Amino acid sequence: MSEKLYAWLLRLYPVHFRETYGEAALQLFRDRCRHERGLLPRLRLWLDLAGDLAISLPRQHRNARPAIASASVQPHSEDGPLFSLLEGEGPRPGALLLGGLLSITAVFGWVSITGLEHYRPVSVSMLVANGTTKGTGVQQGVDRDWQPVIRAAIANVKEYYVDPAVGKKMADALRIHLKNGDYDSAKGGAALAALLTQQMREVSHDTNLIVVYRESVTPARTPGATPEGVARYRKAMSQGNCTFEKVEILAHNIGYLKLNSFPDPSFCQATATAAMASLNAAAAIIFDLRDNTGGFPTMVAFIAAYLFDHPEYWYNPRENTTTESWTRSPVPGNKLADKPVYVLTSAETLSGAEQFSYDLKMLKRATIVGETTGGAAHAGVYHRIDEHFGMGIPEARAINPFSKNDWNGTGVEPDVKVKAEDALKTASKLAERSLRTR
Amino acid sequence: MPKPTLKPLPSAAFQILLSLAEEDLHGYAIMRHIAEQTGGRMRLGPGTLYSSIQTLLEHKLVEEVDLRADAKLGQERRRYYRLTASGRKVARLEAERLADLLRVARARKILRSDYV
Repeated sequence: MSEKLYAWLLRLYPVHFRETYGEAALQLFRDRCRHERGLLPRLRLWLDLAGDLAISLPRQHRNARPAIASASVQPHSEDGPLFSLLEGEGPRPGALLLGGLLSITAVFGWVSITGLEHYRPVSVSMLVANGTTKGTGVQQGVDRDWQPVIRAAIANVKEYYVDPAVGKKMADALRIHLKNGDYDSAKGGAALAALLTQQMREVSHDTNLIVVYRESVTPARTPGATPEGVARYRKAMSQGNCTFEKVEILAHNIGYLKLNSFPDPSFCQATATAAMASLNAAAAIIFDLRDNTGGFPTMVAFIAAYLFDHPEYWYNPRENTTTESWTRSPVPGNKLADKPVYVLTSAETLSGAEQFSYDLKMLKRATIVGETTGGAAHAGVYHRIDEHFGMGIPEARAINPFSKNDWNGTGVEPDVKVKAEDALKTASKLAERSLRTR
Repeated sequence: MPKPTLKPLPSAAFQILLSLAEEDLHGYAIMRHIAEQTGGRMRLGPGTLYSSIQTLLEHKLVEEVDLRADAKLGQERRRYYRLTASGRKVARLEAERLADLLRVARARKILRSDYV
């Protein structure tokens, strides 16, 4: 019965589409019917189909090409034009009317249940370059109740913030704001997130605290944490040489390592060891982190270990002082501990790559060449609030031996400020000069 | 009648290209892959799926391969589709474009996650 109904609905498509894909569409419908049994799955199937018709029918008719209704029986000859008869008539007025009505009903039904999120081009709901968002993801402030989000933020900050007394103060402050109706004027999720962030920072003066709003829906589980996610990550790492893009010896025996992330050591340690070993005889070393957006703190410390001949305190704002906070130096057989080090940075150097740059700079172990880095310390643990909101809460406090603030929000200032694209040239010259004077 | 454009690459078309990255698939398998890779958020109906496939075929981003049965789904013979070299390139360019956006989002602290 349902197959007959769908076969009938398929007749609303242009003849060319029907002839080419009608049977395949029907087959797909049968497959779904076979696998999606029960009331709810079946209901979902029909809702999908209604949405599908609403979206694809107008598109097909808009793009329809006349199908060849009958071809010339004459074989094609070189000395005269070949004519084919094209399907002359468009859809019948009745079919158009029915299609129109069905489409309107389906669009309303579809939008009211799920929104059209899934069928918009990828670009629509993405961020645009100036940092604002476009699109129509979530309902704006006027018709969405923010209370659950605010209450969850209050509960989270009270429960998890590193200093429970300050956590409680922040929770109290937010409660008062809520009572005073201070959130009623928040227009949209991004504005609410910014307001909550600002109010919590007013109390705590902690710039690592943040409430974030994403227009796209965030699944309940982080994709990277699933076994499939891990398998995908490993595959990508093994295909991409663990993001060790280039390991070379440049002129004047200067070692050059272009590293685009700090990959998981449990999978990439061998690659890292091999890369560092191949640079072992270099007279100086350049780490190119201009495209490095971070990664695993353990890998950051693992590579840094090669640059010292004794265990060095290794500041990581994301952790309390643990054994990881000391580099595992000296590395047996390593000759790089006393060689000049240059780190190339760009505005897109982020997170773990900033930690590498910041710590080496503070320890006066490297010359940072390039642009000020992005300024993402990522010191907070991310807590999901709902599909659109989450918050970063510092849950541990590492002792920063170098200064009061780390690079969060400000970035790491280079020692030699040049445009990112000129950084390699500048660092090579500096290295050559330093080697001449050694 | 001009070919439907693929600029910007529609979400459904990009998902189809991604689903075919590793193996040739028939229509229903493409739909299942997409549902899986989007966490169930996108279930393409037959009309949208085959319209998109039609456009991708016209732009030579995918190609039809053999007609054969899928042992898991019975005896019915199905049309399989394959990603072409230019399809792979278009998918890669789109992924790079999204990665660029992601970098901007991270740099502007719109997006924060557990330090990866």
